[in-house]
Amino acid sequence: MLRRLFFLAVCCLILTGCTKSPDPSEIRFAIAQKPLTLDPRYATDAASERVNRLLYRALVDFDARARAVPSLASWVSEDPLHYRFTLGQAGRTFHDGSRLTAEDVVATYRSLLALRDAPHAAEFANIAAVDTEVTDTVLFTLRHRDEQFPARLIIGILPAKLLAAGHDFSHHPVGSGPLRLLDWNRNLLLERLDDRQRLVLEEVRDPTVRVLKLLRGEADLLQGDLPPELVGYLKQQPGVEVMVSPGSNFSYLGFNLTDPKLQDVRVRRAVALAIDRDAMIRHALVDASRPATAILPPEHWAGNPALAPWPYDPALARRLLQESGVELPLRLELKTSTDAQRVRLATIMQAQMQPAGIELVVRSLDWGTFFDDVRHGKFQLYGLTWVGIRTPEIYRLAFHSAALPPAGANRGHLQDAELDALIDRADWPAVTARAHALLPYVPLWYEGQFAAVRHGVSGFQISLDGNWDGLVTIVKQGH
Amino acid sequence: MPLLKRVAGIIPTVFGVLLLTFLLVHLVPGDPVEVMLGESASGADRMALRAELGLDRPLPVQFSHYLGRLAQGDFGHSIHTHAPIAGLLAERLPATARLAVLSLLMAVSIGVPLGIVAALRRARWPDRLATLTALTLSAMPHFWLGPLLMLVFALWLGWLPVSGMEGQGAILLPAMTLACGLTAILTRMTRASLLEVLNEDFVRTARAKGLPERSVILRHALRAALLPVVTVIGLQLGSLLAGAVITETVFGWDGIGRLLVESIEKRDYPVTQACVLVIALVYVMVNQLTDAVYSRIDPRIRLTT
Repeated sequence: MLRRLFFLAVCCLILTGCTKSPDPSEIRFAIAQKPLTLDPRYATDAASERVNRLLYRALVDFDARARAVPSLASWVSEDPLHYRFTLGQAGRTFHDGSRLTAEDVVATYRSLLALRDAPHAAEFANIAAVDTEVTDTVLFTLRHRDEQFPARLIIGILPAKLLAAGHDFSHHPVGSGPLRLLDWNRNLLLERLDDRQRLVLEEVRDPTVRVLKLLRGEADLLQGDLPPELVGYLKQQPGVEVMVSPGSNFSYLGFNLTDPKLQDVRVRRAVALAIDRDAMIRHALVDASRPATAILPPEHWAGNPALAPWPYDPALARRLLQESGVELPLRLELKTSTDAQRVRLATIMQAQMQPAGIELVVRSLDWGTFFDDVRHGKFQLYGLTWVGIRTPEIYRLAFHSAALPPAGANRGHLQDAELDALIDRADWPAVTARAHALLPYVPLWYEGQFAAVRHGVSGFQISLDGNWDGLVTIVKQGH
Repeated sequence: MPLLKRVAGIIPTVFGVLLLTFLLVHLVPGDPVEVMLGESASGADRMALRAELGLDRPLPVQFSHYLGRLAQGDFGHSIHTHAPIAGLLAERLPATARLAVLSLLMAVSIGVPLGIVAALRRARWPDRLATLTALTLSAMPHFWLGPLLMLVFALWLGWLPVSGMEGQGAILLPAMTLACGLTAILTRMTRASLLEVLNEDFVRTARAKGLPERSVILRHALRAALLPVVTVIGLQLGSLLAGAVITETVFGWDGIGRLLVESIEKRDYPVTQACVLVIALVYVMVNQLTDAVYSRIDPRIRLTT
């Protein structure tokens, strides 16, 4: 018996041992979702785009009002079909020590155009040619006029020689950004080039576990993706500092305009008037969240500060429904993901809509099924968030009649010639006003951003869209 | 020969699992091409990628190609990362195996003694305590028990890491979470089985011969009582793998369960199929092994029966 127990104990020791402890000098960032790929040509998920911004440099970046500004290069438009980019001196060294040249820019964009399975390829289909001219100069020739063209050039530049060799950038990135990848085994181990500070990005899916890790000291930083009660809990904890800031990610309810009940704009307005956004923001969202009026926030250069948020007026909503002739209570189905916070918000809306005569049925589906239903128009209402939107081209993607799925994200099948013409003319104030009147989406809110750090960690700045640029400035005292 | 027959008997089961998994992952809504290309890609690009991935072919053709590749030991590549699936499995399977084996050891080393004590002290406080413990453990879902254990052992006591695979004893909390259900089952099973055996004639004979009670229990009664327990352990090993899907996700344990969850979310068909196939194979093989062990413990049972 004793021998067996001894054998069991040895087995346990073997199984529990063999693990290395984290290095206390590293800054550990607990993230909800790890990046899928570190190849900027393939990245579409938020985590990949956020980390790729730090590993690579692009030709163009954005200022505080989301206007395109030079990053690696400045540009001039010689005519509507030709853009000449001239490389500056900053950020011109790749992590492998080679110099970033105009040939690398050309090779990156040519490879993007040649790839058939790259999600960004369609955005650049308008490029007829990309060539080097004199040293450090690249000329883009377009097929059609596109005033937003420079703002599209935010793909990280890759070394031409590695592209030619078929290098796997997805797990072995070589960029010229402020951070470089040291290792990607379970966690991402990054190093800041300036001071050799090491940063660990660890995927921790469960929000409660992320909070516990921060409190235990296994994580130094959290950002976003926590329900408000956990943020409130963190604020009460000693040794943790919680920062909040307004955000720009746009949450909305989308209507299916092919549904007979929802084709009447009075019904859509009734739904908009039946939601008490202020109460939801006060009680169920992170501080610094604010009511939304359009996809782009008012401070965006293409935003429309003149638009007012929809008020909460269930009596008016009921009157509108009665005028429209629908039978009350109006039964509508809202599809959402299984995310606990999304389901909670949907449930609150369900209760808020009752006085207006709307019986909201909430169906939460796993992400794949939910998004497939949304893409294929199998919904009456759905709830989603546009994340990291920088250019007004989103209105073309979401509302133009040429952008019906599968060729775009006009999931509600809005078809309005006047709006199409306004989008084609790039008259963004008029586009937002028209969209506000047509109401293909019920604008809900721009969710506030927050970050929590342990005492001794400082220098992290929160951005409007929740990117991770703060990793460039974050500091851990004593290390 | 009987062994060969048993191995041959596995084939229909595995084929059934392959077919079901293939059909399920292809029939549920969600399309890997849309996940990969996003919403701005043109119809032509979508069709081209669909053709490149072989998703434009009829399902029977896709299935036969899949079987053909499997027969050559080729699991294929991940649709999203393009990584060879065999490599992904080789990376993740040992982590899950460590977790499952440690959970099993924990469950056996706690559940069986607890069951013995409960049986020997029937209807007294140790029995009631063991039964209550078993009931409580079996009632707690992994997604709830995991964070509870983290709170107690990591945050309040500070003994173990919250989650992840780094740090001394990082495996203990996920293993404890996974072991709880099996511990409860083994406690109840051992108790019931031992109580039954203690009333058998051969136990009475052993006592009548004047053998010490310890010897009667450990050498005679327990050996017979453990037969059904071994069967349960074999069957429950499959449940441990299934439970690992949730436990690994909660604890950030990079095993095959987490890989399976990630692949389902991304509609990465080949990875999902490979994970389910491996879990099914392990399940079937463990069952065969259980039968073999059973026949060793009880000579009355032979592989031919």
